[in-house]
Parts: sequence; structure tokens; C-alpha cells
Amino acid sequence: MEVQSVLESEKSKFKSTEVEKAIPLEYDLGNLAAFDTNPIDPKSLKKGKENLLKQLTRDNTQLIMNAIFNLPTKSGEDGVFATLPEPVTIIPREKPIPKEKILTRWEKFAKAKGIQKKKRTRFEYDEKTGEYKARYGYDHTKSSDDIPEDWLIEVPRGADPMEDQYEKRANEKKERIESNKKRQKRNQEEAEAVRKNINPREARKQELLNKSIIAKTSTASLGRFDKKLKNEPKIKNQGIKKHHESATGDMNAEKQKTLEILEKTIGKKK
Amino acid sequence: MRPLTEEETKVFFQKLAQYIGRNIVHLINRPDDTYCFRLHNNRVYYVSEKIMKKATCIGRDQLLSLGVCFGKFTKTGKFRLHITSLDYLAQYAKYKIWVKPNGEMPFMYGNHVLKAHLGRITEDTPEHQGAIIYSMNDVPLGFGVTARSTSDCRKLDPTGIVVFHQADIGEYLRGEETLL
Repeated sequence: MEVQSVLESEKSKFKSTEVEKAIPLEYDLGNLAAFDTNPIDPKSLKKGKENLLKQLTRDNTQLIMNAIFNLPTKSGEDGVFATLPEPVTIIPREKPIPKEKILTRWEKFAKAKGIQKKKRTRFEYDEKTGEYKARYGYDHTKSSDDIPEDWLIEVPRGADPMEDQYEKRANEKKERIESNKKRQKRNQEEAEAVRKNINPREARKQELLNKSIIAKTSTASLGRFDKKLKNEPKIKNQGIKKHHESATGDMNAEKQKTLEILEKTIGKKK
Repeated sequence: MRPLTEEETKVFFQKLAQYIGRNIVHLINRPDDTYCFRLHNNRVYYVSEKIMKKATCIGRDQLLSLGVCFGKFTKTGKFRLHITSLDYLAQYAKYKIWVKPNGEMPFMYGNHVLKAHLGRITEDTPEHQGAIIYSMNDVPLGFGVTARSTSDCRKLDPTGIVVFHQADIGEYLRGEETLL
């Protein structure tokens, strides 16, 4: 009995968790929201706006909390979590929907072949020290070596014995980088064409044509005395020529035209 | 020397209309002779047909000026009126401002017109409107842009600016070598 009364007295200090509403709230727990459609009593609104609002807020918050506590829960290491249902209210996006990424040639090929990217771990076991060390970068496995791994390169069979294998390797790497850069540029250009809804092949063709026109008309004679290829398409001089009326033309026509322009400009102002 | 293009004519008329409004028609439709606007070295000349035809005999490099220079196109494509156009502007002016004798000198030295020097002003002149400036005995002295409307002018203190200076006949002496 003692305990009961203590609990009772403790409970009476706080408001009840039970809230009564004429019309039950509409819940959208996915968004942690609830909508109170009950009409507001104008009398109590007049009496004290602040108090009414405070009370309404308290009651409705209590109702949301009640609803959340009724949800199925999951308990993990970090505590107990309620699993929220899917949101009902559709909230407009602030930003436009992100555009689909345009695949590069390799990505397309890999997708068709089902090749998946394998993620290599950042650290690997170093047998010499018996520790895990970075695969690359600062303090990586090979950096502690005094003697580099490739201190000697065997001359391949049939190769020129006087050829510098180190130089050859460096040159090959340079070429690989160079060609990869070219591919990267081509991928970018193709993606740009796809974004503009043009066939990439056509876009490339057009660009080459434009470049050839510029190159051809870049001589002092605008390419008039250059050697022509067979079946070369004729390119017109693309400069814009300004045309002006003759100074001593039909004076009456000129006057009429001037008056017309005057009507247009002054009429617009008013 | 060539006629103005449509775009140039538009810009030119817009500027001219600030000072003489619809009276531009009287410049184009003249009872005495056919007059036209011609562009030469970025300057707009108002010239009679007769003289213009004679001027075609002179090479572009040699031709210095013909008729009356109204102003010039700036390199950004805007139009600037020159003092030489004052004769025509004064003839057809919509808004006029008369300056007291003690204000003539300061204005002709290139200063703005102050309230203290204001003699008379056309009724209902709006703010930022092109206006022609006259001496009290109706001699045109130059032109400018009003800084205040007529009603605001009344409340202004004597040192307040009424018209911003744009061009004055003192330029015939000050800018003798640049005027065409």
C-alpha cells in the first residue's frame, strides 16, 4: 500500500499520457508528423492564445510520442529503436533529381561482360616486419627497402642487350598514361554528346569538319591557293559581310524608312 | 560616309527624343530641302541632299566634316550629342530652362546649373529629362539633364543642382580642335 500511494503521488505531479481528442489525429510517423484536424474553440482562443497553443502542442506531442512507443521496436547494442513506417506525405525535393551518370567505354564493356570492380584493402601484411602496412602511400610495404625490388631487370630473350630496360619501362608507362588521357578525353566528349542527344560519332565528325574548315581558311589567301584533295567539299568563306545602304540611294525611300524607325522607337517609349 | 543602319538610327533617335521628342519628324520632313543623316568616322551628320552628293566626290580619309555634326557613336555603341547640334535642339526643344545672367558664365565654363541661377523653367519638367538651357534673352547656351523635376526645384536650397551639364557653347573655345 505504501508503494502504491507513493507512485500515485509521483504520478499526479505529471500530466496524464492519455489525451482525449474528438477527432483522432492523422499520423505520418515516417516523417515524425501528425495532423490535428480538430476545430479550435474560439472562446478559449480569445482567453489566452499562448496558453491554448502551449496546451495543444503538449497534447499533440504526447500523442505522437504515444504512437511512436506503440511501434515495433528493435533492440541493439546502442539501445532500443522503433522502426518507422514508410512516410505518407510527399515532400517536394529541394534539388532536381540527379542525372544518370553516363558510362565510359570501359564501364559499358565491363557491364556487358559482368566484370566487377574488386576492392583491394588499404593495408597488407608485410612479411619482413610481420606487421600490417599500407599498400601504397606513406610508410608502405616497399618504402622501407634499401634495395629496390627492380634493382636488376633480366633482358628478355631476343631483345637488344644494349637497350636500357629501365628506360624502356619508364617510356612504356609514359605511353600508357598518354593513351589513357586520350581515352579519358574521348569519354568526356562522348558523354557531352550523349547529354546533348547527339550521336557521339556524328558529333566527332562535325567537330573534325569544323576544325578542318578553320585550318583550311587559316592561310593569308583563306586557302584559295592550297592544294585540293579529291572530292573535297567546297567551303564558302564563312565571314560575315556587313552590308550598308548606298550613300546616294533613293532619298524618298530612305526618308520613309527613317520615319518608320522613328515611329517604332518613339511609339515604344510611350 | 554612309546612311545609318536601323540599329544605329534607333539608338540615335532614342537619344534625340529625350530633348526634342516627336519633333524629330520636322528634321526629317523639311519643306525647304531634303535632309538626311549620314555616318562618317562614327559621327552622325545632318546634311542636305545637295551637299551630301557633292561630298561623295571626296575620299573617306580626306573628308573631314559635312553638314552639321549631331554627335558621335561611342565604341560601346551608345550615342553622345555634341554641342554643334544645339541649333536644331534649341529650335525644337520640349523642355527649356532659362538661366539668370549671373549663372551664364558658370554654366559656360562647364559647371552644372544651380538653383540660385535658375531663371525660369518649363512647367511639368520631369526628373532626368533632357533639357535645353537658354539665357534670359533666349540665346541657347547648351543642354543637359534635369536633376530635379519642376516641383522639386521649388523646395531645393540655392546651392542644389537643377540641371546636370552635358554640353555648352563654351566648348567652341575649349574644345576647338576636337569639334567637327
